[in-house]
Amino acid sequence: MWAYIVRRILATIPVMAVVALFVFSLLYIAPGDPAAVIAGDQASPEDVERIRASLGLDRPYLVRFGEWVWRILHGDLGTSIFTNLPVATMIAQRIEPTLSLMTVTILFAVSVAVPLGVVAAWKQGTIIDRLVMAFAVLGFSVPVFVVGYLLAYSFALELDWLPVQGYTPFSHGFWPWLENLILPALALGTVYIALIARITRASMLEVLNQDYIRTARAKGAGQGSILFLHALKNAAVPIATVVGIGIALLIGGAVVTESVFAIPGLGRLTVDAILRRDYPVIQGVVLLFSFVYVLVNLAIDLLYTLFDPRIRY
Amino acid sequence: MSSTSLPPGLAVAEPMPDILPDRRPRRGVLGFLRRHPTILIGGTLLGIMVLIAIFAPYLWTRDPTALAPALRTRDPGPEFWFGTDMLGRDVYSRVIYGARVSLIVGFSVALLASVIGLAIGLVSGFIRLADAIIMRIMDGMMSIPPILLAIALMALTRGSVRNVIIAITIAEIPRVSRLVRGVVLSLREQPYVEAAIAAGTRTPAIMIKHILPNTLAPLTVQATYICAAAMITEAILSFIGAGTPPIIPSWGNIMAEGRALWQVKPYIVFFPAVFLSVTVLAVNLLGDGLRDAIDPRLAKRL
Repeated sequence: MWAYIVRRILATIPVMAVVALFVFSLLYIAPGDPAAVIAGDQASPEDVERIRASLGLDRPYLVRFGEWVWRILHGDLGTSIFTNLPVATMIAQRIEPTLSLMTVTILFAVSVAVPLGVVAAWKQGTIIDRLVMAFAVLGFSVPVFVVGYLLAYSFALELDWLPVQGYTPFSHGFWPWLENLILPALALGTVYIALIARITRASMLEVLNQDYIRTARAKGAGQGSILFLHALKNAAVPIATVVGIGIALLIGGAVVTESVFAIPGLGRLTVDAILRRDYPVIQGVVLLFSFVYVLVNLAIDLLYTLFDPRIRY
Repeated sequence: MSSTSLPPGLAVAEPMPDILPDRRPRRGVLGFLRRHPTILIGGTLLGIMVLIAIFAPYLWTRDPTALAPALRTRDPGPEFWFGTDMLGRDVYSRVIYGARVSLIVGFSVALLASVIGLAIGLVSGFIRLADAIIMRIMDGMMSIPPILLAIALMALTRGSVRNVIIAITIAEIPRVSRLVRGVVLSLREQPYVEAAIAAGTRTPAIMIKHILPNTLAPLTVQATYICAAAMITEAILSFIGAGTPPIIPSWGNIMAEGRALWQVKPYIVFFPAVFLSVTVLAVNLLGDGLRDAIDPRLAKRL
């Protein structure tokens, strides 16, 4: 098992290298002249040249890539064109709201979606199952900002139960922090819940047909313990995998959710950077999110090799 | 009962009486649609949206870009069905014309990503050396959340519908390639492909004649999901200002413009949101229906 774990960890290195190469190469893949686009329509030729030099587009590709990787390995993500601050500093200032939003969303979504999927599998073919599946299709179809506005309109503006927008840091207390995150997490969580509920149902259906479930039933185990102790344990691997893969959806959705609910996180930073054509910031955020995504999925893989004794590679 | 040909002592049983009603599945398009209602519903809704997009100028619309500052932020009513926005433009006309961008982006991305992904998937499923390299690249690309990849690409180009299509296509290709490669790898082990190899058929011919047709069914299903994802991504890109330029009305754009006023004039955001959601739902229903029709085994599980 340890050999597998070491191999699995080492296998992420080429993936991260390709991510870095790809994110770096976007400057060269993009059609047109990125320097001119970033400089804007009113820029003088000197401005364009200055930006070209600051992006390193005037030097050879491989040399540039080497330097760039070297700097990233030292924690230097470049400098913002707009604020002249290091990108790493700007990201550090904005990371707490995004991290809070993602954590709350993941916890909330998993604790709602897994029971939903389990019940749908248990009651397969009934109205409950159909309702859960209908919700899953809807969840995939209604975009996150639409859900966001709907929630904000009904629960904040009309009912006045929760704040409409904004973010309160965790250091100001647990409830003020959570209060601001409930609606965004609901909005962001919709697609994620749909995805997890669907895979939970599918995975449970497969397990519920197996002999050991009949044995458990025969020896008189209660329905709840059969579903959640006997079956769910064995259905957990695909569910955990989807929880990890689905984080890509959350990352994309966070950019939008933060705009709708005026949360000053990395998503807002990205949107502001787009409007200012501040490419180094976008590059830094994309790289960071991708690495986090790869590492979270690595962690999930490793966790179930540790906890599931059946998995031996 | 003439049982002359039977040996003596054996008799043919009497035919069973027709206890069960004749429930042969209906044939033809109508029967197919009856058995797969989601295809019918999704297809109809999508068809209506396509008609709306094509006939936008004849659906009692005005110029969707005409400014009328005197008529700013009118509530929905008999004159302006969906009201007007903060520049006095007719929201109804903008939403109707917005269908064009969404559908063009959705269909183009689905088609382009499928064709390119198919080519990449076929090559990497058949050529070992290429496979190792291509799949490493695809793994890397798949580790970048698709919306972020599209955002990064859009930040480097001028906003235009064409660039939006290119950006979303690049973000979707890895998933299609993976799917096709998976199908190719499993088909390669099939006896009929081995027979073709043994018969001396050249690799390109095997790929195109024997493998390609069998990838089309799962690919079609995947293409509908890509279409839905592309529509959402286009709306998101336009919403955050990295997509369709403001001159061309698109659902994401209209919502972005309504954003500043959404607490007082929620209808500007509401109408494009409903159209977008219904269209994406239609495409997803179509995809689910096609998936069930093509692979009944999978349909029972998911």
